[in-house]
Amino acid sequence: MSWTRRRFERIATWVPVAVWAVVYAVALAVAIANGDPPPAPESALQTLALPPLLWVVAARIVLHHWWPGTGARMAAMDPPARLLAAAVATLPDHRRQWGMAMTAELAEVRGRSARWRFALSSARATLWLRPAGGWPVLALVAGVVVAAVVAAGPVVGAAVPGLGVFAVSFTALVGAMVVLAVARARRPRLPAPAPTLVVAGGVAAAIAMTAMFLRRVPTAVGYLPPARAVYLAAVLAGCLWVAVAAPRWLGTDRLAPHLGAAAALVFGAWFLLAFRVTASLDRLDAPLLLEFALVPVSILVVVFAPLAILFLPALLAGVVGRSFRSGVQAAVWTVIATAPLAYALWLPEGLRRHAIDGALFDGALGPVGATLGDAMVFSLGALPAFGLPFAVIAAGVAAAITRPPAVAQAPPDGPTTSR
Amino acid sequence: MNRFRRRSAQTTTVVLALAEEPTAWRYGAELCRRLDLRPGSMYPILMRLADRGLLETTWDSGVPAGRPPRHRYRLSGSGRALATELAAASATTGPVRRGDLTVGWQGR
Repeated sequence: MSWTRRRFERIATWVPVAVWAVVYAVALAVAIANGDPPPAPESALQTLALPPLLWVVAARIVLHHWWPGTGARMAAMDPPARLLAAAVATLPDHRRQWGMAMTAELAEVRGRSARWRFALSSARATLWLRPAGGWPVLALVAGVVVAAVVAAGPVVGAAVPGLGVFAVSFTALVGAMVVLAVARARRPRLPAPAPTLVVAGGVAAAIAMTAMFLRRVPTAVGYLPPARAVYLAAVLAGCLWVAVAAPRWLGTDRLAPHLGAAAALVFGAWFLLAFRVTASLDRLDAPLLLEFALVPVSILVVVFAPLAILFLPALLAGVVGRSFRSGVQAAVWTVIATAPLAYALWLPEGLRRHAIDGALFDGALGPVGATLGDAMVFSLGALPAFGLPFAVIAAGVAAAITRPPAVAQAPPDGPTTSR
Repeated sequence: MNRFRRRSAQTTTVVLALAEEPTAWRYGAELCRRLDLRPGSMYPILMRLADRGLLETTWDSGVPAGRPPRHRYRLSGSGRALATELAAASATTGPVRRGDLTVGWQGR
């Protein structure tokens, strides 16, 4: 398959559309199977069109910035060189120069089959690096991880009924990351300790709050079926992995992680405020005129504040760092710091609100256990799904603002004709 | 002698090949061709030798424009001492043949 910009533009456009159409169709089918009424046509159209539009715009912006550098370089390579480049990209920092050495030697190899043989064999060498501490240490770590996974289910399940699947999944994922780190002799990067602490604290709080919620509301187990438990584990483990062992391209900007962590803390404060403001408005027995006056305040607090919190870090990082990549790094850090924290705050706030008036976050009356499902859908589903592309768009705006002005083309030197 | 016993036949072959002209810089692909070793075996050996200070490495920037700089290798002082030791041992036990190269490069 030839790599052309047009082909990638088509992929960046149609993949988000197709993925969202499938997700929406599945969600709709599940809702209808549960007896929910089908959505109104206008509402369905909006839900079907707006999210993929956000992703398509973000994907095209990423492509716009990726293609002139890495994209064009990869396009100029043949498939064996691309394979080796991909394998070399997985090497830990201290082995990076060996990857460059293999890549340089491949450039000297002639003939299609010889190049494939050289690339495949070199890629194999990049995969089987000597583990940190040697093979016995890797075997020991793997054994400990397997034992922890086996023990996690019964132990946690006995302490907090309903949390067993999550415990097994989370332990397995984190354990796999540890085994992989030892196997690849990869040291934790910890690009920014304070933001890493914020993310890790958010993940720990999310787990603690889930346990607390399930103990306080045992019927909430119904809102944490195995598929959701695995999803919860995957999202939390993913956030932790990015924070602790950030990929090289994500840890180059010093400011971006701090902006992301600061945004998460502001988001947490906004969240508490919004939860309580909406709760107060729902209970307010105020004159109609005052209620009308409060609507713009409510919209400002509930809708625009979170958008600004997601948008500004990426914009600021992109402008200060004068690069799209800095903005994207801030976008990723904002999302991985915000999502677990929002989830962790939602659960106790949901309990508090429900104890006051029996309502959920949206003001509707419902079983308190539904708070668990709402928290997951909003904080760990909608927030990353919409917040990330939104923040990437902010990084694109920053790059457009700081782009150096095009230099006017000077006329070439040499003889000029005169009339 | 203990050092020698822990080395594989492939590692021995690479060390001895590098010792033929100890001051000359060698390229990875060139060594692979000459010794009929795949890069998947050659590069881990070179990495291990370099990690142990037996190999000197440098980047050759004198490549045609548009090509990446190539990595070059030659034995260090201790690498040459090891090569002498290995050559003496080979002379006693017989030369290492291609068919003997079945032990993993780590020699374990």
